[in-house]
Amino acid sequence: MPEVEKSEEKSRLIKAYTAVILSRTLDRKIVTSQRQGRVGFYTPTMGQETLQIGASMALEAKDLIYGYYRDVPFMLHRGVPMENIINQIMGNRDDSALGRQMPSHYSDKKRNFMSVQSPVAAHLPVAVGAAYAQKYRKTGAVVIATFGEGSTSTPDFHAAMNMAAVFNLPLVFLCENNGWAISLPVEKQTIAEIWTKAAAYGMRGLRVNGNDMLETYEVVKEAVKRAREGKGPTLIDAISFRMGPHSTSDDPTKYRTETVDEGSDRDPVVVTEKLLKAKGFIDDKLVESIKTKAQKIVDEKFEECAKIPAPDPKTAFEGVYAETTWMLEEEVRDIL
Amino acid sequence: MTEMNMVQAINGTLDMAMAKDSSIILLGEDIGVDGGVFRVTDGLQKKYGAERVIDTPLVELGIVGMAIGMALSGLKPIPEIQFQDFIFTAMDQIINQAAKIRYRSGGEYTVPMVLRTPYGGGIRGGIYHSQSGEAYFAHTAGLTVVTPSNPSDAKGLLLSSIDYGDPVIFLEPKKLYRSMKMEVKEGDYRVPLRKAAVVREGDEVTAITYGSMVPLVKSTFEKNNVNGDIIDLRTILPMDIEAIVHSVEKTGRVVIVHEAPRTAGMGAEISAAITERALESLLAPILRVTGPDSPFPYRLEEYYMPNENRIMKAVNKLMEYR
Repeated sequence: MPEVEKSEEKSRLIKAYTAVILSRTLDRKIVTSQRQGRVGFYTPTMGQETLQIGASMALEAKDLIYGYYRDVPFMLHRGVPMENIINQIMGNRDDSALGRQMPSHYSDKKRNFMSVQSPVAAHLPVAVGAAYAQKYRKTGAVVIATFGEGSTSTPDFHAAMNMAAVFNLPLVFLCENNGWAISLPVEKQTIAEIWTKAAAYGMRGLRVNGNDMLETYEVVKEAVKRAREGKGPTLIDAISFRMGPHSTSDDPTKYRTETVDEGSDRDPVVVTEKLLKAKGFIDDKLVESIKTKAQKIVDEKFEECAKIPAPDPKTAFEGVYAETTWMLEEEVRDIL
Repeated sequence: MTEMNMVQAINGTLDMAMAKDSSIILLGEDIGVDGGVFRVTDGLQKKYGAERVIDTPLVELGIVGMAIGMALSGLKPIPEIQFQDFIFTAMDQIINQAAKIRYRSGGEYTVPMVLRTPYGGGIRGGIYHSQSGEAYFAHTAGLTVVTPSNPSDAKGLLLSSIDYGDPVIFLEPKKLYRSMKMEVKEGDYRVPLRKAAVVREGDEVTAITYGSMVPLVKSTFEKNNVNGDIIDLRTILPMDIEAIVHSVEKTGRVVIVHEAPRTAGMGAEISAAITERALESLLAPILRVTGPDSPFPYRLEEYYMPNENRIMKAVNKLMEYR
């Protein structure tokens, strides 16, 4: 590999690794803060960092992400400021959605990260429409839709897969197959391997090891390239593991037999460190410094955001329509 | 001015709007080559191409979801659901996505979409081609529910809906698609949303109705010389409360007419709104002439639909209160 390319790869991978560490550090901070009563709710992302960041590396700024409620690493790597994420979780005055949604339901139009809803897979047919619009308007942008493997059981997944294939759209379906939909293991969700479902729609289906950031990057990059060239959609089954609970309200000891602990061989942080060390891009010293810096950033940002007050009460009843209704005006007068 | 029916009026309006604005896209089942099962989109695919008049696979939630995604990416989609009875699998897309995206994204994302769908009975469509589901939509903040009662309004309301900026559920009374003709002005004109029309004026009773029931109430009042106001809501959500209260304060007697089942129907909401604002003007209880709380029958649909006789029974009862 020529020197220039090698140094570009090095800086790209160090940036990605830094995002992995920032995500993991932020994840731990929020879970701890929830336990302390400082945060209401959260859906941890632990275990899915490399999958998301590998995918994020494959995208351009103009591409659109139709993500779900576990995509913090994706957002951080994409350049969404950490304070935006924490402000959303706090539901404070600086949250772009003014605390209207429960934590983990992000929206960042500036980075083309579509507002997240709770009902799983409902964004998939919407992503199809967004991809249709890119094709129609010839923007050259690709849409990537992420979702858990539980989503593949829904009618929305079926509708979206079928329509994306019928219209040959620039769309990548990235299944973040973390093995669990709350308490239901993937083998009870579906008998078929997820990637094989693509065949029913005449679509390409691939499986990738989501714990391998580079493999994920290469596979998503190729799918995005094909989509951009008008060669249609791809379903990627990215295998990972949900190391934490579904949410801070969930107790996985009730249903889970297998666990992946932090620092173990299946932890994507460990996998990535080994990978980058083997390439000679990082050493223990750099790892230590990235982790220390990440902790400092997370602690500081969290405390800054925690100081921001709640939104003005009247904002809870605004923004329903471009122009409000007389009913709402009347109701707000009764409430406030 | 050309005389036309509602199908022709809507078709011409879509044609006019599409010619002016290339961001308008139609999508739905059988709307392209076939021109729609009611022929509302006839000829438009030929004129604007299959990219802009899309024959979709048979999946209502997919049609609505796709339209939402188009709207989020700068287009102005006009999806068609072939019969309103088939819309229910798309309700999650309508209620949890279209209606809530502006609010939940703090205004970052909006859904300028007009969802057209034929509703109501009177064509012997049986259980699954006759329902009037306006109340389901009217219960959802973020939606705007519109229904025209004649070809001229259909044009003006549709043009207003296209430029409205938020999702509109545009309910087309299929019974009126071809059963009435009237002069429709050429060119661009708007009938404002959120504004009712007083389609007949009088002093002794107020009839509040919309969509398919408007011509029936009109002919009933004319035939029986009822001295009353008829209010055509035009927009069901949010309804024009000022027009309603203004009339009730004058007449003191109210009959509400809709095809949909009575319980938790629009009549209940209108009635409550009136008592909250104009109780002292009321001379009589508010009466409702509606479809019954049963599914919509096929062979015996005449018994289901409100008719002249039932409307006059209610009016006569109201007039007993002096």
